[in-house]
Amino acid sequence: MLIQLNQKQLKLQNELREYFEGLITPALRAELNQPEHFEGGGPEFKKAMRTMGSDGWIGLSWKKEFGGKELSPIEQYVFVETVMRTGFPFPFLTTESVGPMIAEYGSPWAKEEIATKILKGEIIYGIGYSEPNSGTDLASLQTKAIKQTDGYLINGQKMWTSLANFSDYIWLATRTDFDAKNHKGISMFIVPTDDPGFSMSAINTLGDVRTNATFYDDIYVPETHLVGELNQGWSLITSQLNLERLALVNHGPVEELYKDVLKTAQSTKINNDQCLSDLSWVQHNFAQVHSGIEALKLICWKQTWIMESGQLNMAEASVAKVYGSEFFIEAYRLMMEIMGELSILKNDSELTILNARLERMYRTASILTFGGGTNEVQRDIIAMAGLLMPRTR
Amino acid sequence: MDFSELSHQTEIRDSLDKILNEHCSQELLKEYDSNFKHDASLLSLLSSNGYLGLGLNEKYGGSGEDLYDLGILFERLGYHAAPLSLSGCLVDVAQTIQKFSNEGFCNEILSSIIAGEIYTSAILEPSNQDPENPITTAKIKDDQLVISGTKYLSEISSMAKSVLISANSNEGVLLVLVESDKVKLTELSSTANSPLFKVELDSVRVDRESIIHKKGRGLEALRYLIQVNMVMRSYVALGVTEKMTSLIAGYTSEREQFGRVIGTFQAVSHRAADCFIELECLRLVNQQASINLNTNLDCENDALVSKIWAGNACHKISYSAQHLHGGMGVDKDYVLWRYCLLAKECELINGSASQNIDRLGINLTTNQ
Repeated sequence: MLIQLNQKQLKLQNELREYFEGLITPALRAELNQPEHFEGGGPEFKKAMRTMGSDGWIGLSWKKEFGGKELSPIEQYVFVETVMRTGFPFPFLTTESVGPMIAEYGSPWAKEEIATKILKGEIIYGIGYSEPNSGTDLASLQTKAIKQTDGYLINGQKMWTSLANFSDYIWLATRTDFDAKNHKGISMFIVPTDDPGFSMSAINTLGDVRTNATFYDDIYVPETHLVGELNQGWSLITSQLNLERLALVNHGPVEELYKDVLKTAQSTKINNDQCLSDLSWVQHNFAQVHSGIEALKLICWKQTWIMESGQLNMAEASVAKVYGSEFFIEAYRLMMEIMGELSILKNDSELTILNARLERMYRTASILTFGGGTNEVQRDIIAMAGLLMPRTR
Repeated sequence: MDFSELSHQTEIRDSLDKILNEHCSQELLKEYDSNFKHDASLLSLLSSNGYLGLGLNEKYGGSGEDLYDLGILFERLGYHAAPLSLSGCLVDVAQTIQKFSNEGFCNEILSSIIAGEIYTSAILEPSNQDPENPITTAKIKDDQLVISGTKYLSEISSMAKSVLISANSNEGVLLVLVESDKVKLTELSSTANSPLFKVELDSVRVDRESIIHKKGRGLEALRYLIQVNMVMRSYVALGVTEKMTSLIAGYTSEREQFGRVIGTFQAVSHRAADCFIELECLRLVNQQASINLNTNLDCENDALVSKIWAGNACHKISYSAQHLHGGMGVDKDYVLWRYCLLAKECELINGSASQNIDRLGINLTTNQ
């Protein structure tokens, strides 16, 4: 048993840190501070993505035929962790979860045209799963793709299609067999957002993260845009979600925030002799956050190591999702308590701390407990797959 | 990165389970609910099969210096609620001597421990929250020490050949091996009926050679002892909570109410799932702490994190298990109750979660 990054991986981590320091220019930082660009999509963001792509950083663990370096999932995790620590809104759903699905199951066109461009940083995806009446019960989705002579005609509506406002394609779940049982009639398509039948309306959220309702009105796609086999889409969705869950709970950003809050507390004087970090209740909060991060880090590392051997364990992927998402909420609260009233000041206030990251993070935290598969379903999975208990009903 | 167990480690786990399954049946454990909780025949069986040499160097007859191996032993002892209290002997005495004593000490004591001889430690003191700073004193007179003080929660001391004592002196902290017949022992009756003793030393004289470490390394040795003890106790906690979680899964998958097994109610299965998550976290932080202590003699924060998770898991999983079993959980004819007692013992000895949170918090905010 060996639970640490090896010398090569540590070197990679350092190399990446330096790389990002150069990549994230003041202009990019300024763009990312604008609410409409919190999630990326601006010109500086696009430039940085392409630079990262041409420097060969996206897809370290991808196969060489797509432009990857065929390193292990651990290196890939180190990359995502390091980029997320910088605060750059790296589109990891595209590169970590949808991308690998297309590379594995896409048509020759998709492999050539889409997968390689993802690695060049030229393509970003939105994910089209949820619908107004299909959330947790995703398999009940109604968006339909009807077979034509050499393609499919798509009609329907999706909800919470994040990044759709600047993404190039939607990874779209559709119903293609209307007689089969729910899970058995679903197929996955690559749908271009520049199609005239595609439209959207913005949904503004508590965390000032924009998401979208997206509409698909007689969009015709050729056969090459089908990913995997017809009516076999459900297994692609579940595989994609397993990858997504791990990416969602990466321990990098929360550890970075912890370090920064610690530094701030250590330099915040509360009287002539004492800093904020000298107070015992503050120390307790830090200790709780630290012991929580340690567990999260180990869960993520273990998941990543499991991926290397290719046997992703359902129960453990769900443990990562439930534990990580609920821990984030707790950790933000404990750290906001430490900084007290200062942590509710927004970015443009005079006394704001830590670039108002705490003020923003707590507002985005709830998304993860229901997004990517709600935690109730994850706990069902843990009880069934981890404890071999009967299926709940 | 590699989270897999080596094949010999899986073998240790499997063959230990075989032995312990046989020797820790409900019927056999009942004997120890009110009698002195020490199964001498089980101990000699573990000895003759080489399990007392886990974590000890091959040159003394051990299986290699790997604390993860030793962790497997404590995890399985916890899982089977075995009537053996061995952390004083195999952790405090054996591991500390291995790392801090001269070859003479190691040869003599480690090989006799592997052969089944019992040693123990007496480190904790009533009304002292900081075991690194003992109230017990050792006065150094020429080549002799005179030790006075009161220790408690010392394991199976009545059967031990010698007791490893921590004391303060004008040369700093000392760890001294004292023959048991020189100390006054009083058996303490405690929650899990474990064989725990109060140890009183009233001007006990021992040779200076009884100090187990080189001059000036006492505090370092004591800190190591406390940390390894925390981690190994967390492995006992892992075994105890793993057993309780599997009891939950088993019971709620069979018990029927309202015409269906209660495990099909989400309220039930979700509480069980939370135990699984807690258990997985505890397993991982234990693994990290034991592996790091293999190569670094001072990993206090890792040890604290592991004991914090252990304390919380013991508490949460114990009450979840009792609750989900209903009356069965507290019925002494069923298996669960013994684990609940052990869980409380693991939770509190050598630092509770809150106490360790305090300590960790100080470390994090001042050491950087």
